[in-house]
Amino acid sequence: MTLSRIAPYLQATPLTAILAAFLVLPIATIVMVSFWDYDSIQIFPAFVFTNYEETITSPVTWSIYLNTLKYTVIVWAVTLVIGFWVAYYLAFHIRSATAQMVLFLVCTVPFLTSNIIRMISWIPFLGRNGLLNQSLMQMGLIDQPLEFLLFSDFAVVLAMVHLYTLFMVTPIFNTLMRIDRALIEAARDAGANAFQILTNVIIPLAKPGIAIGSIFVVTLVMGDFITVRFMSGGQSASVGLMMANQIALLQYPAAAANAVILLILVLLLVGGILRIVNIRKEL
Amino acid sequence: MSQKTTDRTGAAGANKAAGKQAKGLSRRSVLKGAAALGGLAAGSGAVTGFPTIWAQNPITLRQFGTGVSNLNAIAEKCKADLGITLQMTALDSDAVSQRVVTQANSFDVADIEYWICKKVFPAGTLQPMDVKKIKFYDQIVPIFTTGKLTPESKIAQGTAPNTVSFVEGADSKKFSPTPTQWMTLIPTIYNADTLGIRPDLVGRPIKNWKDILDPAFKGKTSILNIPSIGIMDAAMICESAGIAKYADKGNMTKAEIDTTIDFLIKTKKAGQFRAFWKTFDESVNLMASGEVVIQSMWSPAVAAVRSKGIPCVYQPLEEGYRAWGGGLGLAKHLKGAQLDAAYEYINWYLSGWVGAYLNRQGYYSAVLSTAEKYMTPDEWAFWMLGQPAKTDILSPEGKVMYTAGAVRDGGSFQDRMGAVACWNSVMDEDRYMVRRWNEFIAA
Amino acid sequence: MNSERRGLGFYVLTAFFVLFVLFLYGPMTTIFILSFQGPNGGLTFPMNGVSLRWFENLLFEQQAVGDFGGAFARSLILGVMTMLTTVVVSLLAGLAFRRRFLGSGPLFYLTIASLIVPSILISLGIGLAFQVVGLEPAWYTSGFGAHLTWTLPFGLLIMFAVFNRFNPAYEEAARDLGATPWQTFAHVVLPIILPSLIGVGLFGFTLSYDEFARTLMTAGTFNTLPLEIYGMTTNVTTPVLYALGTVTTVFSMAVILVSLAAIAVLRKRRARRIAG
Repeated sequence: MTLSRIAPYLQATPLTAILAAFLVLPIATIVMVSFWDYDSIQIFPAFVFTNYEETITSPVTWSIYLNTLKYTVIVWAVTLVIGFWVAYYLAFHIRSATAQMVLFLVCTVPFLTSNIIRMISWIPFLGRNGLLNQSLMQMGLIDQPLEFLLFSDFAVVLAMVHLYTLFMVTPIFNTLMRIDRALIEAARDAGANAFQILTNVIIPLAKPGIAIGSIFVVTLVMGDFITVRFMSGGQSASVGLMMANQIALLQYPAAAANAVILLILVLLLVGGILRIVNIRKEL
Repeated sequence: MSQKTTDRTGAAGANKAAGKQAKGLSRRSVLKGAAALGGLAAGSGAVTGFPTIWAQNPITLRQFGTGVSNLNAIAEKCKADLGITLQMTALDSDAVSQRVVTQANSFDVADIEYWICKKVFPAGTLQPMDVKKIKFYDQIVPIFTTGKLTPESKIAQGTAPNTVSFVEGADSKKFSPTPTQWMTLIPTIYNADTLGIRPDLVGRPIKNWKDILDPAFKGKTSILNIPSIGIMDAAMICESAGIAKYADKGNMTKAEIDTTIDFLIKTKKAGQFRAFWKTFDESVNLMASGEVVIQSMWSPAVAAVRSKGIPCVYQPLEEGYRAWGGGLGLAKHLKGAQLDAAYEYINWYLSGWVGAYLNRQGYYSAVLSTAEKYMTPDEWAFWMLGQPAKTDILSPEGKVMYTAGAVRDGGSFQDRMGAVACWNSVMDEDRYMVRRWNEFIAA
Repeated sequence: MNSERRGLGFYVLTAFFVLFVLFLYGPMTTIFILSFQGPNGGLTFPMNGVSLRWFENLLFEQQAVGDFGGAFARSLILGVMTMLTTVVVSLLAGLAFRRRFLGSGPLFYLTIASLIVPSILISLGIGLAFQVVGLEPAWYTSGFGAHLTWTLPFGLLIMFAVFNRFNPAYEEAARDLGATPWQTFAHVVLPIILPSLIGVGLFGFTLSYDEFARTLMTAGTFNTLPLEIYGMTTNVTTPVLYALGTVTTVFSMAVILVSLAAIAVLRKRRARRIAG
């Protein structure tokens, strides 16, 4: 009896220990360093608010945060629509578990090629003389190469959708699989049309999956820097990129202050999502 | 690098070394550990003292730096000549500076740029080198010691290497403006950068930095997105276009930074730039794919574009060049045999083979006199003297880079390094500059 | 929807799915094509001849800068380490969360926090923490930890999904038949959740193998594969990068096909055994 009472604690210990060492401690360090001072050469222990002051009072920070939020909203919306329908297709139209697995694997294979290589390969795909532009021109659809395809907000969103849609598909698929098919039959017998079944039965039941997928996508986009840098050709900034720049120039306290602000913002966003859906219960 | 071509250049090197043997042997054999003989030693089996020592007592040095000079070929040659195993890790310049400062024990030798040195050396993770132990110290190009290429030349603006080359003492972190016994970095490579152009696509002569602003190139230009370097590109452009006049480009006032960045933002909003590049490879891809027709570039990147059969010129400009340099620094924790090995490695680095290898890529090496011995007269005349090539000029990998008759863009070493207008810089207002640079990127 | 008749919706969605897959493979097409660049070709169009030069270069020769072999080995080992640890730790935690225990709420939210803290921040934090404590970062210590903060939340969420659906009647039946808790776990619970555990493992490996931002400041002396490739772009890179992409893709496809064939054979055999 006693064993079964302490069992959960033992079982939870490894997770707790790992998170304490590699999450809580580092975050605490960041919070600490965010109050430190620095010059162009070194950082030194202190307790100053200049890092926060400079970050919050600068209009740059605000425009970068806005820009990051813009990416987040657009990418979230696009991945949600695509992710939902892909998950829907896999859950309701593919009947054998093996076939579902195979299709999932087919979707993951491109991700085994390093992201950096895939980023580079967007240039010959979307570029002025790229595959897409040349195909479109050969088909006679355009006579000038489309410049906006690469090094633009469009390119950033495209690459992010490419990277992150699967994070939306997986949790939604998971919840869709749990929907009791009898419910749908019942709704149909009660005279509901396909659209009503979708909006009144399936979507409400898929909410936890949508919530988890949204958490994935929102946090990934908010923290991203490498996609923004590569795909905008350095033309556009995100919070992550701003931090990466500060880190690169050894302005750790400034980056840490930025990090704390970003963390609070992301926590608020996720808190909002969790308020709508209790994912732990409904998973 | 293909096996075949390695053999070819290797054999060529050995032949050359053998050719030099007659006049060089007597003098150099008395130099203790004459590592310059390594190429010869590898071929003939005649081994100078050092390799055996390191072979018996294997030493590994961990070196990191950007891929520009962190070349496997150098590690291989070093192993063959000295018996020292060099473990090379390539990183981008951001990661390089971070690693020096935050992970002092993760490396033995750091290959960093001079402007990074200004930031990282005071962190105390590197130890200065005793110039008395640097065999070729006296022959190092004076840019790195006195700052003057020739006695009468003027020191260029920015973080000129000589300003961060020396510290006041063995344990000092304070830079000395004049040479002392303690050197922070031993120069590896440096160069004078300018704009690269696609002559087939620009369709007009390019003479000034301001030509990058020509509306004809709207959406087809690029500059670097490393703040300390990009701001200097921007300053050259602004000065050329008459937007700003700087007391010292390399150490701008807040007002000057504002003027420069505001102008950049305006230009960016007008759609003049296609992209901003950060790694070498990006600049090559931008140019080779035709995304960009005129941009700030590095010399070997131009060569790389050209090697794909695409015309590309490294255009000398009236205002002069923006220069940069890198060097090897030793980690603080090195001592004993490892420290000796590190000095040995550095002496070997300056002894010619590496210098020739780097010169052949279009960079310049620190000790020219030793490098010359490892280059053919034709190579030397082409790369260093700016004379037309008599035969095809090959890359270190054995690919034809220039055909006979070609002349190096910008001419001789003196012409190019003598026309440096500024060096990549870390300014006093660095913190402010980076904030404004971020604003420019975000705009 | 679940009826035998394939409606219009099926065809529309099939088309949609195919488009999605094409989109996922979009950049892969350029990688495929350009990996056959001629010996003087670059990373972008135009093609400069056609050759197998870059595959030869990838498999048999040393690069001018960087070390594919070493970096690949490190990434592979790290991926496997992360995979195994993720499976074990999230399974244990998943079991723990089936019962009430003090602090389960905070631990859950901590795990979610681990997911949402931006990667670059974790990277910076672990790097700084190691520096403050005076430890030397290395890919198998700090890097490993950084990867776990990324894979464990995924693992735990999947375990939640599994155990919330798990029917306790199986366990009760086993217990009624006199099985010890361990026997119940090993012979009843584990076989049922095994496919999900494999999923957790695959997820963990893929996430770790391609992780960049979290490794950036935690890798120590030596690079993992993504870092190495990034480092290589500081010099002239060649289509060998694309050859690597092509080889990776073809190899993964082959692994999938072989596993599928193996599963099919096993199934057939089992069916025969049951029938016989």
